[in-house]
Amino acid sequence: MASRWLGDSSASLDMEIHTDTTDFFRVEYGDVVVLRDTPYLVRQNAKEERFGVDEDVKYWVKRAIDLHSGDAKIIKLAFHEKFTSRIGDIAFECFRSPRKEARILDLVAGHGNFMQGFAVEDEKGNVVRVLDLIHGRPLSKYIEGLNVGHRTYFTEQFPGILEQFMACIRAIAFLHEHGEKHGDIRRDHIFIDREDHRYRWIDFDFNFRHRENIYAYDLFGLGNILLFLAGKGDVLLHDLRDQQSSLLDVLQEEDLNIVFHNRVANLKKIYSYIPESLNRVCMHFAKGANWYYESATQLHHDLEVFKNEWQT
Amino acid sequence: MNDDAANTGNGEKVFNRNILIAVDESANARRAVAYVGQLLGGLAGFNVMLLHVVPEPEEDFFPSTEEKEKWLAHYSEKVDGMLADYRQLLIEKGFAPDAVSVRSTLRYCPSMAACILSERDETGYSTIVVGRQGLSRSEEFLFGSISSKIVSHARKCTIWVVE
Repeated sequence: MASRWLGDSSASLDMEIHTDTTDFFRVEYGDVVVLRDTPYLVRQNAKEERFGVDEDVKYWVKRAIDLHSGDAKIIKLAFHEKFTSRIGDIAFECFRSPRKEARILDLVAGHGNFMQGFAVEDEKGNVVRVLDLIHGRPLSKYIEGLNVGHRTYFTEQFPGILEQFMACIRAIAFLHEHGEKHGDIRRDHIFIDREDHRYRWIDFDFNFRHRENIYAYDLFGLGNILLFLAGKGDVLLHDLRDQQSSLLDVLQEEDLNIVFHNRVANLKKIYSYIPESLNRVCMHFAKGANWYYESATQLHHDLEVFKNEWQT
Repeated sequence: MNDDAANTGNGEKVFNRNILIAVDESANARRAVAYVGQLLGGLAGFNVMLLHVVPEPEEDFFPSTEEKEKWLAHYSEKVDGMLADYRQLLIEKGFAPDAVSVRSTLRYCPSMAACILSERDETGYSTIVVGRQGLSRSEEFLFGSISSKIVSHARKCTIWVVE
């Protein structure tokens, strides 16, 4: 069955068939993973690019082919990793949670703003997720690749992008309404599906022991993406310094991102044509904020207000 | 809810003298206990319950049930010691031993503040005491503040936030 994909290479001779995926390092190119009677041919390990530089190989995530249907799949094997994450100078305990991702896949089946797939246990009870491949690229790459000035971008492209992003915010509100957090909201965790142009959230296995507000970290992620989209990239203090920008004279401490103190949140001071109603939303994520969003619905509501004002 | 503030005949509310101190291992929790001890120790009629809510870890925070059980056993032992220590502190400040009770409970807590308030609702204590965590603005933004949420969501009781 696999020979069609492997050709006459010697890989087919060394092929191993795995029904126990506990040691995911042993699952290699050309091997077959059998999950609930369906064989998946492993093609390669997935890689993740962070901040446009290093590519980390994710050995527990395999690109594969469903040998029954011929469809390309992503197979995420169970990896119980615990680690300390740092956001600015704040450390918190995180872990990968295959069961959380499995629950969410179940919850969002058929939802257009999430990656699709299902979870299945291997013979040792490891929770493996079998995901549909999204043909497209991360939102971050798309924005970074736009070759227009900010004003043109903001008037011509941002309205459509915001519309799609607001659908993503509604999708996060949907998760929260069902007691789930995404856990790792980042600009490269939204993929733009080339087929239907929808924005889809990916990667829900990241988890952490929350403190008081279980959804605050997700809201922080949404805010960062909003600032990135409205600013057509991060507006960084060191870039302004490099440019010897006179805008540095008008920026104050409270205009900076509440957590990432090198990023500007008060975008209106940079781009004066940004409407006040949008900037007000952005300022909820600034050091000077005296009130924070408590739900994705509140954030969505304020963006709706901006959108309606802007359209009239 | 059987022991909440009642009304006297002239409309004035009557509060009971039962005080719930929500604690953990932090220095601010110890300050809250010491504060109650200094303020009310030696006065008759006050009862204190030291409460610790154990936030139940999510289902696969631990790779196996055995590891979860081991963690819980260790945690329980630690909490018992902590509560006994705080109880002793109150007794040393003048509380009668039978006026100080302890309670630890394992709960799934999307919000710790909501869990503490729910415990209060079950006991009907008139006063909750918590220590201020002293979070930075960034931390409060990212994770939320238990004491702030208790203050804004509490009903039918009074909150003391100890600095």
